[in-house]
Amino acid sequence: MLTATKPQDAAAVLADPDTAEGLRDLAEHLTPLLQGRRLHNVVDLLSATSDFIDMADDQLTQKLAKAFEEVVWAGWSAGNALRSASATAADSEPPTLWQLSRQLNDPEVRRGLFFIIQLLGAVGRQVALEAEIPEDD
Amino acid sequence: MKKRIVIVGGGIGGTMTANNMVSKLGVEIRRNQVEVMLISNSPWHYYKPAFMYVAFDMYHKAELRRKQATLLRPEVRFVVDEVEAFEFSASRLHTRSGAHYDYDYLVVSTGCLPAPERIEGLAEAGDHFYQFEPARRLAQKLRTIERGRIFITVTFPKTPDVPHQCGIAPIETTLMVDELLRRRGVRDRVEILYTYPTVSQLLRNCLFMQKQTCEVLPQIFSDRDIHFKRGFTLERVDPDARVAHSTEGDSEDFDILMSTPPIRAVDAVINSGVSEAAEDEGWLPTNRRSLQLKGHPNVYCMGDTVDLPISKAGGSCHNQSPVIIDNIAFDLRQGATPAVYDGRVQAIAQMGLEAGMPLWYDYDQDVQPTPPTKVGGLMRKTFNRGVYWATARGLV
Repeated sequence: MLTATKPQDAAAVLADPDTAEGLRDLAEHLTPLLQGRRLHNVVDLLSATSDFIDMADDQLTQKLAKAFEEVVWAGWSAGNALRSASATAADSEPPTLWQLSRQLNDPEVRRGLFFIIQLLGAVGRQVALEAEIPEDD
Repeated sequence: MKKRIVIVGGGIGGTMTANNMVSKLGVEIRRNQVEVMLISNSPWHYYKPAFMYVAFDMYHKAELRRKQATLLRPEVRFVVDEVEAFEFSASRLHTRSGAHYDYDYLVVSTGCLPAPERIEGLAEAGDHFYQFEPARRLAQKLRTIERGRIFITVTFPKTPDVPHQCGIAPIETTLMVDELLRRRGVRDRVEILYTYPTVSQLLRNCLFMQKQTCEVLPQIFSDRDIHFKRGFTLERVDPDARVAHSTEGDSEDFDILMSTPPIRAVDAVINSGVSEAAEDEGWLPTNRRSLQLKGHPNVYCMGDTVDLPISKAGGSCHNQSPVIIDNIAFDLRQGATPAVYDGRVQAIAQMGLEAGMPLWYDYDQDVQPTPPTKVGGLMRKTFNRGVYWATARGLV
């Protein structure tokens, strides 16, 4: 609770019977971890979390949030396309080869094909980069 | 016969409702029994809370908007048009293009508009951060003020127990102004005076619309040398003398007047004639539990458009949307509307430029203020930049 008064000293806080009761319960709950020295791992994890929070700044937040949106967008777009295509394919009679070829008259189908060909081109360019091994200095 | 569900408004409420509606009614849509249509007056979707950050030079326009169509599932029929008239009794609406649409169910999520012109002199002399261009103008002033006085006012709707837009925003921006001026090194030469009106929903002479938060504010403000005054209800502004006058008979001068201005519903809602709100503000009379428009059970209201005592903010829409979707889906399938809204709202308040404070409340439980933290600030920034768009897509 955010209080309007200044913080009390530690002794006064610990003297509060509800706080003391809560601490005793917590200590009992932590006993197996304390005795097995396993609480150390949790403290180390907390320490690492705290380090991350200390290091996080506006730029890092923006980058992480943008990466999150891009991943979500990719999954969202792929999911939408998959769901839509799956519903149409499942609800229709299998087309004949002639009917299939007539689908190419649909500009959106051609745009989709063009997208996939471009995607394959981009993948190919990246694969080519992996294949090039520069000479040693 | 195919049922049509029309959602009006391309803000966060309408967008998440359209997406989650087609998800909920996937089987009926696939069988061509139901159509879900979203009508918005803009091809763009704006993250409205980011306008506040624009006033502090923290956001570019391209970062706070997306093309609406890219946020919608393909099952949603999206129409860019302005609704000009609702005929609730005929279940029909008319648009600016001359089209009309009949519906079986309607969701009104048309938001609200700042109306500084409703207070004499405020539009000329005041600034606010609830729209993009006004926020840019305020940013220019906050960027350049070297000395003087920043005067902050909050105006509530005249309709009893209806809040102003985004309840926490005046406090957020007051703390942000303080921190910005400290960063600029001019804080010791600029006085900040925060004021609050005598009547704030059910409270009197407070500094916030909820009592517990009101009680902790004096200490928070005093720690930052922010001056504050209760009982200042803005009545008129003298733009030449740069003086604000209150209905209580008080006057305060200013160099920047940062206001939370009066608000109203959009014209089509006001002109529908069903509102019982004071001063033609236009809030729709809404059943606080089912969210149905009173007297029109096939119409649902959400977000800023309602006359409920709940924050006019996206955090309200996030909790109202599932109730509306559930009630429409139940009504379609079983002829009942059992889902109930409990008034829940959640948000992460921006407390200064870096810290944040998660908060939630409902009809029965007020906000329990907690100390603002850096973790809270990081949560808010992550929400602003990434999670918001997932929320609009109905994923969160």
